[in-house]
Amino acid sequence: MIDQPGSSILQVKNLNVFYGTFQAVSNVSFYVKSGEIFGLLGPNGAGKTSTLSSVEGLLKPQSGEITVAGFNISKQPLHARANMGVQLQATSFQPELTITEIIKLYAGIYGVNLTSEKLNALLQDIKLEEAASKKFGQLSGGQQQRVSLVISTIHDPILVMLDEPTTGLDPQSRRQLWERIEAIREKGHAVLLTTHSMEEAEAVCDRIAIIDHGKVIATDTPQGLIDLYRNDPAVISASRKGKITLEDVFIGLTGKTVRA
Amino acid sequence: METKIPKPSDAFLSLMRADFTTQWRNRRSVIMSLLVPIIILISWKGLIAKLGGAFVFSIALTIGLTSIGMMGYAISVARDRDKGVFQRLRVTPVPTPFIMMSRLLVQLGMIAVLTLGVFIIGYRVDKIALTPAGYILTFITAFLGGALYLGFGQMIVGLIKNAETVNSTTRLVYIAFIMLGMFGELSDNMEFKNIIHWSPFGTVKTILAAAMQPVTWNNDATLALVATLAYALVFSFLGIKWFRWN
Repeated sequence: MIDQPGSSILQVKNLNVFYGTFQAVSNVSFYVKSGEIFGLLGPNGAGKTSTLSSVEGLLKPQSGEITVAGFNISKQPLHARANMGVQLQATSFQPELTITEIIKLYAGIYGVNLTSEKLNALLQDIKLEEAASKKFGQLSGGQQQRVSLVISTIHDPILVMLDEPTTGLDPQSRRQLWERIEAIREKGHAVLLTTHSMEEAEAVCDRIAIIDHGKVIATDTPQGLIDLYRNDPAVISASRKGKITLEDVFIGLTGKTVRA
Repeated sequence: METKIPKPSDAFLSLMRADFTTQWRNRRSVIMSLLVPIIILISWKGLIAKLGGAFVFSIALTIGLTSIGMMGYAISVARDRDKGVFQRLRVTPVPTPFIMMSRLLVQLGMIAVLTLGVFIIGYRVDKIALTPAGYILTFITAFLGGALYLGFGQMIVGLIKNAETVNSTTRLVYIAFIMLGMFGELSDNMEFKNIIHWSPFGTVKTILAAAMQPVTWNNDATLALVATLAYALVFSFLGIKWFRWN
């Protein structure tokens, strides 16, 4: 039984996803509250993307219930999607369109009235005024992530989902993105992010869930998880510098074997 | 909680604007779709007296339609699927069928441009003029023929998941269609001629040729029309059934 506070924006209950006979997600349950950054951590193939895809409505789970802002993703997908902003892991936009055109397209899709002033302010905010007429593929990795985040949040959604948003970014771009993610939280919105970076999870997440073999094996604050598992022999054995870190807890709980 | 669902018409217009811009920037593909029919109209000028204007017009239009359905539609859908463009759109509150409807409307626009282009070049270069009823009927049959090739393109992207393989397959099929369509009916082998006549290329060519001269519309043209519609339905059904968004 999971704790479900009244302010939860996203609720996932007993989610099960199968690919043929392979169970990718097994009875996963969690919630994300408003004003909270919730991290979903797990090794490759643990079930993170399947879980996220189910929440986004890209994947139809075999069972379970997902609600976004009170709307069931299976029964009211358009309402649920209107309340979420999504940054996919391997996302791309039409390569022929300029940044301005891409932003206008998504503003139109979300029914946002985007005046020239608003558009300029958006571009200024992400420091891309000069690149407004460039194509998405001509931008650097950091610039692409900033455009993706602007598009994900253009309609001011109450739930923002980010799938490994800082992968491949340099430290400066990563810090800048963290600040942007924290700014979303400051507005009282909820953020669900997946990451492989324990540093990122510790730095920005209020709570995290560790998922492995399709199951949630631990959920708590980063410090709460460290405190809870610091005496676990597997965690101690994973520790490299004597001091227990979130990465030690993660390795201790999910094992040292490299996943495909 | 109150949720603002964007108006479907606004979302659709935004999608269409983006798709038309994409098509416009892909001018090479547009030119390719128009170039081969125009080359046929110009290079076959001397054959018009022998084969008839309707025959040359219908060949040029059918090849253009094949190019739009396969080179234009199928390749762009396969590429965008591969790049994750569709997945990005599918997580928005736009109804999923809108994504494809917008794409198809752009291709219908292309068919209109192609038909007009063939009419204009045919009139200016080959002095081929149709009756008003012929122009209208040709427009309608061009859209029906276009539906067949768009369905064919949809079937290819439904069957083949890899964008590179879609690219090479459509080019191969396109060349095969051109060769068979242009020269198949000139063959002396009746059986081969019959196969070409009832192939997707042949049926579209037959209805286009008949539409250009409405007085010549006969039972054969009606059967070709039925076959065209059947091909379009079967290809579209299979293409939609097998299609995967990612």
